[in-house]
Amino acid sequence: MADTTKEAELRQLLHKHYKYIDYKWNVVFWVTAIFVVGAAGDITKLLFAGDWDFWTDWKDRQWWPIITPFAIIIIGSALQYIQWLAWRFPTGMVYTACAMWVFATFGRWVQWGAFLDYPLNFVWPMTMVAAAVFIDWILLKTKSFVLTSVIGGMVFTIVWWMSNYVMIAPFLQPALWMDRIVTVADVQGIEYIRSQTPEYLRIVEHGSLRTFLGETTYVALAFGGVLSIAGYWIGQFIARALAIWPIGRFMQKW
Amino acid sequence: MLRRIGMALLLGVALLVVFAPAASAHGERAQEAFLKMRTVGWVNVEFSGGTVRVGESGADEIFIKQGEEIQLTGITTLLAAWPGTLSGGDPSTGFINVIAPGPVVLVREKTINGVSAPHRIEIEKGGLYQFDMTVAGRTVGRWHIHPSFSVKGAGTLLGPGQWVNVEAAEGYTNPVQLLNGETINLENYQLTYVWIFSTLTFIIGVGWMLHWTLLHRTVQNLAVTSQIPLNTDGMRYGLISRKDHRISNVFLIITALLVGVYFVYQLVEYPDKLPQQVVEFAPPPLELPVTAEVQGLGSFYDADTDTVSLEASVTNTGTSDIEVAQFTTSTLTFVNPDLAEPTLEQASLTLDPSGPIAPGQTATLSLTLPDERWTLDKLIPTAESQLEIVGLLVFDNGGFAEVHAPLKTEEF
Repeated sequence: MADTTKEAELRQLLHKHYKYIDYKWNVVFWVTAIFVVGAAGDITKLLFAGDWDFWTDWKDRQWWPIITPFAIIIIGSALQYIQWLAWRFPTGMVYTACAMWVFATFGRWVQWGAFLDYPLNFVWPMTMVAAAVFIDWILLKTKSFVLTSVIGGMVFTIVWWMSNYVMIAPFLQPALWMDRIVTVADVQGIEYIRSQTPEYLRIVEHGSLRTFLGETTYVALAFGGVLSIAGYWIGQFIARALAIWPIGRFMQKW
Repeated sequence: MLRRIGMALLLGVALLVVFAPAASAHGERAQEAFLKMRTVGWVNVEFSGGTVRVGESGADEIFIKQGEEIQLTGITTLLAAWPGTLSGGDPSTGFINVIAPGPVVLVREKTINGVSAPHRIEIEKGGLYQFDMTVAGRTVGRWHIHPSFSVKGAGTLLGPGQWVNVEAAEGYTNPVQLLNGETINLENYQLTYVWIFSTLTFIIGVGWMLHWTLLHRTVQNLAVTSQIPLNTDGMRYGLISRKDHRISNVFLIITALLVGVYFVYQLVEYPDKLPQQVVEFAPPPLELPVTAEVQGLGSFYDADTDTVSLEASVTNTGTSDIEVAQFTTSTLTFVNPDLAEPTLEQASLTLDPSGPIAPGQTATLSLTLPDERWTLDKLIPTAESQLEIVGLLVFDNGGFAEVHAPLKTEEF
């Protein structure tokens, strides 16, 4: 009986009309947060995986799928917790992905294209939107951050890889250039000068993972998936300990 | 008050934008003197090709059209004076390339000691690396171009530079031939394909967000969510409905289809792919006849005239007469005017006594090396722990020898 009463109360509360808290607050939140979330997500990505995101000749099958999903899941995970906790929206990862997409695209177009004159087919940014839809959907279905981290972390990495491999594929075609067979991406990396970034700084597959029969991609994805789970919980820590907990303390005192 | 602050900020930004000079340097003034002088030597660096005519500097400069090629040739070497603090005193990996203010030129060909070397090479102290690089004009403008030698653990070190003017060419493209015979334009190859796919994923994401934000209230939900457990979707209270689940499923299916279809498309469209390549090898050794033994006796820097006077003992160990043709260090080249005219980027040296040195003969030579770039490029190591001038003496027969001489100066 008590449960039913509580349920009815909450149902009523959900549709309660607030005089001062109307839709404008929703707009204010969603629009202003784009800048903070986009910047935080993009900066985190650039700090951990900047060069892999900048250049096609860094987007390899060993390091790119290990480093990048870990780097990009962190802020998305934090937002997933906050938006699920506060509004029960499975939107944190997609929101982060879209905000990052806008920022990264604008950044490449202005900073790398207009200012530095790099061809954009050499410096296009990755997209994490498709992977984000999957992991938000997993949260919606499981309603559990533990399950989302374990299942979602792995799925996120695989879908992220597939959706970005689609874009790198044409640049992995072989070309005969400088009397050697290299990829189109390699040609871009040498032809378009990167001042103060010598080629030996490029961290890409060098040799092969012979222990695993040379199946570099699968090993990298498995390892990347595990790292993504770790990254997911770093994001959860950021949300729980650095965002929600201080706000809760403040609200209690206030 | 706010208006004044706003105007001041606007004025400040405008002044910065209007009066900021264009950056066309490559950090040559930022590096310490020892890093530039004691690491890498450059010999016979030449830029050839294009049209040579008087440029903005008032002297001869190179002019090329977009896509037109010039060549950079010369020899670079890791000096015996290599500091023990860099690369553990034992440099092993290097990368010889071109430095320019961004991708204003294209590196089309590159050989080191006659072998194609697009990427890194294995190097050693005292090694000689003869480079031949073909560079094509890309971005319209006037650019200062250098050969560069990047050494792992030390950074990128520059050789002598040259002004190159790139002029517009109608219908400019950057063709590259794939192994399947198709020729692509690398300037925009598959850019549309990348953007279309990336944008489609973004549109799905925006659709997902619009569904949740337009059909649901946001901040008002907190009144309910704060009273229910975290591991529930709130369906009992109407927070999330079955319709939301169905729509989310549809979004997931669309996303999976998009990724799946494109994944299959790339498998069909680009069946031949390979991982990014890492070309690394040790270039074949380059042997040059030993021409002379050189002992640096001393040097003096006169700050008033920006001149270094260098004294060296030179013994001709060859079988024919030799004469000092050049002294090079870092980006500076001093030319003996009796043998060749200095170009725009070079300066003249004065040799005393001038003339050839016979085989077996030892001569004490005084070289006067005036150039304001000693100061401008911070090549005088007065603020460093080793007061020394290091460079290469280049002889008229193509041979060269390293010289380091203790430095004295009255200017600190």
